[in-house]
Amino acid sequence: MLTLLSMFYYICLRRRSRSGTRGEALTSRRAVESGQRAVLPVSVEVEQYAKEVLDFSSHYGSENSMSYTMWNLAGVPNVYPSSGDFTQTAVFRTYGTWWEQCASAPPPFRRTPKGFYSQDYIELGFEEPVYPTAVEVFETYYPGAIVQILACSHNPFTQNPPTDVRWEVLWSGKPTKVLTPQARQFSPKIKHISFPTNLLRLEVNSSLLDYYTELDAVILRGVKERPMLALYKMPIIDISDLSDSEEELSDVGGPFRQGGDSKHQRTGNGYFDKLPYELIQLILSHLTLPDLCRLAQSCKLLHQHCCDPLQYTQLSLQPYWARLSDASLGHLQSRCTLLQRLNLSWTGNRGALTLTGFSSFMKACGLSLVCLEMSCCHFLNEACLEVISQTCPGLQELNLSSCDRLHPQAFTHISKLTRLRRLVLYRTKIEQTAILSILTFCIELRHLNLGSCVRIEDYDVVASMLAARCRSLCSLDLWRCRNLTDRGLTELVSGCRMLEELDLGWCPTLQSSTGCFQHLARSLPRLRKLFLTANRTVCDSDIEELAASCPSLQHLDILGTRLVSAASLKKLLQSCPQLVLLDVSFCSQIDMRVVQELSGLVPNVAIKKSFTQ
Amino acid sequence: MLSVLSYGRLVARAVLGGLSQTDGRDYSLISASYGFGKDFRKGILKKGMCYGDDACFIARHKTADVLGVADGVGGWRDYGVDPSQFSATLMRTCERLVKEGRFTPSNPVGILTSGYYELLQNKVPLLGSSTACIVVLDRRSHRLHTCNLGDSGFLVVRGGEVVHRSDEQQHYFNTPFQLSIAPPGAEGVVLSDSPEAADSSSFDVQLGDIILTATDGLFDNMPDYMILQELKKLKVSLLDISFCFYMMKTNSHFNAFYCCSFQTTNYDSILQTAQSIAKQAHDLAYDPNYMSPFAQFACDNGLNVRGKVTVLIKIVYC
Repeated sequence: MLTLLSMFYYICLRRRSRSGTRGEALTSRRAVESGQRAVLPVSVEVEQYAKEVLDFSSHYGSENSMSYTMWNLAGVPNVYPSSGDFTQTAVFRTYGTWWEQCASAPPPFRRTPKGFYSQDYIELGFEEPVYPTAVEVFETYYPGAIVQILACSHNPFTQNPPTDVRWEVLWSGKPTKVLTPQARQFSPKIKHISFPTNLLRLEVNSSLLDYYTELDAVILRGVKERPMLALYKMPIIDISDLSDSEEELSDVGGPFRQGGDSKHQRTGNGYFDKLPYELIQLILSHLTLPDLCRLAQSCKLLHQHCCDPLQYTQLSLQPYWARLSDASLGHLQSRCTLLQRLNLSWTGNRGALTLTGFSSFMKACGLSLVCLEMSCCHFLNEACLEVISQTCPGLQELNLSSCDRLHPQAFTHISKLTRLRRLVLYRTKIEQTAILSILTFCIELRHLNLGSCVRIEDYDVVASMLAARCRSLCSLDLWRCRNLTDRGLTELVSGCRMLEELDLGWCPTLQSSTGCFQHLARSLPRLRKLFLTANRTVCDSDIEELAASCPSLQHLDILGTRLVSAASLKKLLQSCPQLVLLDVSFCSQIDMRVVQELSGLVPNVAIKKSFTQ
Repeated sequence: MLSVLSYGRLVARAVLGGLSQTDGRDYSLISASYGFGKDFRKGILKKGMCYGDDACFIARHKTADVLGVADGVGGWRDYGVDPSQFSATLMRTCERLVKEGRFTPSNPVGILTSGYYELLQNKVPLLGSSTACIVVLDRRSHRLHTCNLGDSGFLVVRGGEVVHRSDEQQHYFNTPFQLSIAPPGAEGVVLSDSPEAADSSSFDVQLGDIILTATDGLFDNMPDYMILQELKKLKVSLLDISFCFYMMKTNSHFNAFYCCSFQTTNYDSILQTAQSIAKQAHDLAYDPNYMSPFAQFACDNGLNVRGKVTVLIKIVYC
């Protein structure tokens, strides 16, 4: 019986091993032999499109729309591989250098590091955290704007408050310009990082591009398990790496605080002792901020120089947004008593800056502050604005662009800043009463940006208030102000005679038939920039009036009108010798042949004609 | 052995599905679309879901299936504007809104309003006008939410009878309510109705219901009894498990939707029925002796349009 069973068993085994392939039999035997030895798992590469757009600095489209807005970057591509100016893409608000040429643009900050090119950013959340192996961006129109890709250690979809948020640069480069505006898939070689991420940030610079860049989708490729150490390259420690600056900023002059050893003083600082004080100051004024902080640790003399408040009359912390914290501000506080221009744009998000740190810094350095840039500072709340209004009585420039989480009530504090000359409230939730109150008290306003302020109910009232109170207004941005009519516009141009720049793009309620554009041209002889983007009523008589009355015109945008002909544009080009930008995209009477003809007449004018293929 | 078991399972499911009126499972839609375009001479072939001046879409989101039809108003052709551009762009925009979840299933008027608003956000200066009818099936609650602006519309057929239908919205004869974007200066002259003027309704649907949506080309040429006849021919048998809803679009576009919780479908059967209804409407349109509902209505309005009916519709296969 037993022998029968064992024979049967033996025969079955043999049959099984013969029926399987030789390879299978071998591996199965090996597996059995090796026992507990684990087989290395093949790491599966996960490919995901962006799940949600979490934050961004600007966009072309309207706040509750899906046309040309940043939310189009989430999900699968809608346009790629076609190229063209389509509604389903993500488009930023500006391109080229046109906005930097305007009077409303602030001068650049000193000490901006050479490698910092970013002008706009967008943050994307993905479904699953992975160790990234590749990032692909689908650019469908005028590619070349991406300058930096960063990854964050924090998972934006958890309920937990962010702790120990780290940002790592996956790739950085210079802004480029691709020769043809065709769609492409941009996939730079990225660095390997030591933490899994599902939050990416793209930073862009469109200054070299001929038109708006448009992005369609982003793919994040990565692996779930941490890559093997053998394959994992240790990052080369870069001497200019920002991760060093945090230590410097937080512990400046630490080792030398005990200082004062007479032996050191006698050995001296070489030739530095012979140089006049102000010459050393001049030399140091060329260093970037992290270098300045590192230099302060080298010797007592240089420590004294580097902590001199005269070195900190202008302070731009925007390039270091990823590293800035309350502690950094605390350590810089003592040097910033003479601070005049401060750039905190993009800083402080996800808990990096709080009211306490911010208010103590403002109390220390607010007295002499003249310019405060706080674009995309989401840590701001009503209390912060109150602190600003109390500590900065002399403030002349305030930029709260895209601070869309600020409560409408917070803006009432701005009316206490009566010396304000430049106020940027692009994409904020300011309401009617607050803006009217600001305009009542801030009568020295020269530059005002109310672009995409959707909570303001009646722009005609705002316009008449401007005409009544802000007579020295030089530039006004009313991009996408949905209910400004000819009545308000007429009052505005009658009252603010010094206006040089006026952006009325996508204001659908302005009708040329009322004569408001012609009245505008006649009333504003100093006009240098006029945007009438997507105002479908702009006609030949408006262009002719501009030609006749506005000889200083430099930038003109009449996108999307069917009523303007080549003849009136020729007149305009002849009468306005300083014209450098003319956007005639989607003007049905102006086709490519006309554009080429006009470009031949005036070769130094950039005539823009966008297309959808 | 295995096949007997699976067959038995199918039968059991079919029987259960047929018998149970309240179904805890989500309904789903199976659709087919077919249509006739208009412009034979120009030979214009439009993409996908466009037939002549009509356009339509079928889209799915997490909890809802949405169908839409839009009939471009042909009068724009006299002013050099392509009437199909407006209706096609409107439907594509509504489809995108649905796919991205920017809508509430119980509020189809919201889809129309948002879609119309998005048309105005396009850099391209669109002109034209169209009617619109949007139907949303909420899969969880088994309710159908509809809205209709103009003379397109829908029919709901249950057990061979019409249980719900939309009303035509007309300003006067042959001038339906319409969404429009007018050239500047012509705003006073061009009819432009607000999306909020659309009629909306909501009602429950049951397994086996047939929903037909169509533009005026169907309703103007085929009276109800003819439509019902064609629908009866649709094979609906438990074992066959072929359910279809269909929406017919006029002048041609024919979409089918079928409310059912089974995934199998006999697509060919749906398509066949769609084709036969469209063809019948087409034939009737060209029949000079046939007194279509449209012709009847025209007569009532003092117009002799018997002959005109054929002129109004020029049909070609797309």
